[in-house]
Amino acid sequence: MLRFLVRRVLGAIVILILISAVTYFLFFALPADPALLSCGKNCNPQTVALIHHNLGLDQPIPVQYWHYMVGLFAGRDMPIGHCNAPCFGFSFANQQPVWDIIKDRYPTTLTLAVMGAAIFLTIGVGLGLISAARQGSLFDKIASGISLTGQSVQIYFIGPLAIYLFADNLGWLDRGHDVDWAHNPVGSITGMILPALVMSVIFWSNYSRQTRSLMVEQLSEEHVRTARAKGMNWRYVFFRYALRGAMGPIITIFGIDLGSVFGGAIITETTFGLHGIGNLAVAAVLQTDLPLEMGVMLFSAASIVLFNVLIDASYAFIDPRIRLA
Amino acid sequence: MRKTHYAAVLAVGALSLSACSSGGGSGAGGTADVAKPTVQTITLGSAADSQGPAPAVDGAKKGGTVNDLEQDDFNHLDPGQLYVSNQQAIAPLYSRTLTGYKVDPKSGSEKLVGDLATDTGEASADKKTWTYHLKDGLKYEDGTPITSQDVKYGIERLYADFETEGPIYVQTWLSGQDYRKVYQGPYGGKDLPDSVISTPDSKTIVFHFQAPHADAPYAMSMPNVSPIPKAKDTKQKYDQHPVSSGPYKIESYNAGKSLVLVRNDNWDPKTDPIRDAYPDKWNFELGIQDPGLTERLMAGSGDDKDALSLSQSAAPSQMVTILGDSKLKSRTVNQYQPFVEELSINTSRVKDPKVRQAIAYAFPTKQVQQALGGAAQMDVGSNLLSPTIGGFKPYDPYGKLTNPNGDPAKAKELLKEAGVSNLKLTLAFANTPKWRNFGTTLKNAFAKAGIDLQLQSIDATSYYTLVGKVNNPYDLYRTGWGADWGNGSTVIPPVRDGRIIADGVANYTHINDPHVNSEIDRINAITDLKTQQAEWEKLSEYILKNDSPSVPFGYDKFFNIYGEGLGGVTFRQDLGVINANTVYVK
Repeated sequence: MLRFLVRRVLGAIVILILISAVTYFLFFALPADPALLSCGKNCNPQTVALIHHNLGLDQPIPVQYWHYMVGLFAGRDMPIGHCNAPCFGFSFANQQPVWDIIKDRYPTTLTLAVMGAAIFLTIGVGLGLISAARQGSLFDKIASGISLTGQSVQIYFIGPLAIYLFADNLGWLDRGHDVDWAHNPVGSITGMILPALVMSVIFWSNYSRQTRSLMVEQLSEEHVRTARAKGMNWRYVFFRYALRGAMGPIITIFGIDLGSVFGGAIITETTFGLHGIGNLAVAAVLQTDLPLEMGVMLFSAASIVLFNVLIDASYAFIDPRIRLA
Repeated sequence: MRKTHYAAVLAVGALSLSACSSGGGSGAGGTADVAKPTVQTITLGSAADSQGPAPAVDGAKKGGTVNDLEQDDFNHLDPGQLYVSNQQAIAPLYSRTLTGYKVDPKSGSEKLVGDLATDTGEASADKKTWTYHLKDGLKYEDGTPITSQDVKYGIERLYADFETEGPIYVQTWLSGQDYRKVYQGPYGGKDLPDSVISTPDSKTIVFHFQAPHADAPYAMSMPNVSPIPKAKDTKQKYDQHPVSSGPYKIESYNAGKSLVLVRNDNWDPKTDPIRDAYPDKWNFELGIQDPGLTERLMAGSGDDKDALSLSQSAAPSQMVTILGDSKLKSRTVNQYQPFVEELSINTSRVKDPKVRQAIAYAFPTKQVQQALGGAAQMDVGSNLLSPTIGGFKPYDPYGKLTNPNGDPAKAKELLKEAGVSNLKLTLAFANTPKWRNFGTTLKNAFAKAGIDLQLQSIDATSYYTLVGKVNNPYDLYRTGWGADWGNGSTVIPPVRDGRIIADGVANYTHINDPHVNSEIDRINAITDLKTQQAEWEKLSEYILKNDSPSVPFGYDKFFNIYGEGLGGVTFRQDLGVINANTVYVK
């Protein structure tokens, strides 16, 4: 197990370095000049050159990248001051330390991801299990219909509708606020219920259909039929045999989805005006803010890679046939 | 001032939705429901006008929290770095300048008055030397007095290499275009010599400009002419928490997320003719995207009842609803901004003035207005200078007002005279729904004049980089420019002076007319402001008629709705934003 983890972590580091290099070098393929965004209205070539120097853009790109990577592990001195490791640099747009910005935004993304995941896993898997248990019933048909509809709609469509109905009209739920665990722990939860519910819709719709399909497949397997033929309790067989067999693919999808939402749910955050990692990613791109783009990209990629490692490791616990080496 | 590129990019989607929803009919897309905005000449106030306190707003009361929803981050709080409209809209709340704009809450009329200074300045006969006296009782948030040396220090900081985003009027007037070669800021231990700025005592500051500058009082209202206490200066880090000289101080700032301003108890309203400062607190929520932002202001539920957006115009997708509902419409603001929209013609490529004039005749102003969101968002225009400029005199050499659908026959005639047939031109546009719509509208209209318009989309974040290159491969592109104050001196020189053409410079058309260049120097030297304003108008008309470097087609307008819990919502025409100084919570 330890060997497996060490190997996967080393592999993950290589992947992250590759992602960082690709992102960094691709940025310079864009024609946009970030200096122009910081040049004021009466811009002139002297000011553009000065800003290039201030931002370190007057050095060769490989040198800039090397300084960036060194800063990540050892910190670095920059024109605005010293930047401690992990140094993601200072935002081109507002000169704030990128790592501080990410730390400030992450609680919102984390809360949204955890609450959303709890909802979509519970509802999705729950609906799928019941549908599989009652194949062909009215419940199964209704659940399938709802799941199909849920998968078809988009967050930017149902989000505003949900805000209009549940927040503005009925007043049952908060329209969505950033978390502030230190000063308002209750509000941090209530402010995230509606966004988490809306975000979960497309996920649980998928989980419901996947779970049902996998369970139906498992229930028709020979070992399940044999267990039933031997007189084992239906409930025991359903959960112990069939569900365990269906868990592997569900957990694989869950790991990928969880990594993605931990890396920022762009559409949900934008729809609800939340200040998470997804919203930050959009701002970074629109402002041609290389340090922020790099920071968000690496952070999001690290989330996905980390969850992939965890999921791979978890297979051993779910399915004893799998041996990690 | 400039709108942020970011804002422009994000506003696009909503605007195109409006164009679709209005379908080119009435409502937001038309003019029937839109009142004509008032335009005023902003004059210089007297010493009496410069005395505090600010005129009270009828029925206003102190207290409460105003919630401001903004699409964009402020990016900077350091007064030296402020320029774009959303920054300038909030600057007066925590930062005072030598002069400032006073809005009469009853009539809405606006005057430039002394803010920190006792008046708008005493000038020498040649308008090269300007003297300002500070009022008594001026203090920072920590209770220390504001001195003329602090104002001088604030200007010295503008020479530092990290102060790149603010206006450069005062620095260049004092030390020339290459002002950073002359002086590198106060951090090397050197001060600007008295021959440049002198402070004979702690309440007097004297500016010695290299040339006459009749509009110096207006330049002194720019946010970077602000006092900075040397002892509290933290260079770049000052940006995160500047020391307040205004009625509010910064409680917290999370970049891109929130800003909270609370009362500065050391601000004395008796010294301030501009700010009523009724609310106890300003709570800014940043990064709220449209149409959600506008929908929140319309719904006004919870804290949004006391919400507004100082600088953000409403999502055009909501315009029909707002204008069609008398209750919603009763809490809207719709006034001119100082921006002029134009189709810039790359004169390095389209060299024949007759061809450029043909383009102007073919331009369908009315259809473009519809495509860009309708009359509440933009008025059709024909001048290079906005109606908000002093001495504005409408001129219309290409019939953009009398024949707003364009004159393809006249365009064809001019092309024939120029000996041009099968004319192909490339229009570059930012690849967003709004500007694609703009491009399609032009393509259809130009086809009627025999011009084959090739549409070339550019990623929105790269747009200004690419069209700002002197050797760009495009014939036409849309640009916009806003006056910093009501004088052509902030429009014509930066946009039409041929001697400054370079990559990234705002002379996007590359016009380089020796007559225009010499006129710029002559008019800049005129010491009477009214005469100067009239001369800029004349020159702008000359440029449009003779050089035809662009097709001005619209004057931008601010349109937005505010929460029903707010009162005293007035407008700043100088900036094109809601005036934060008179707002109160009911």
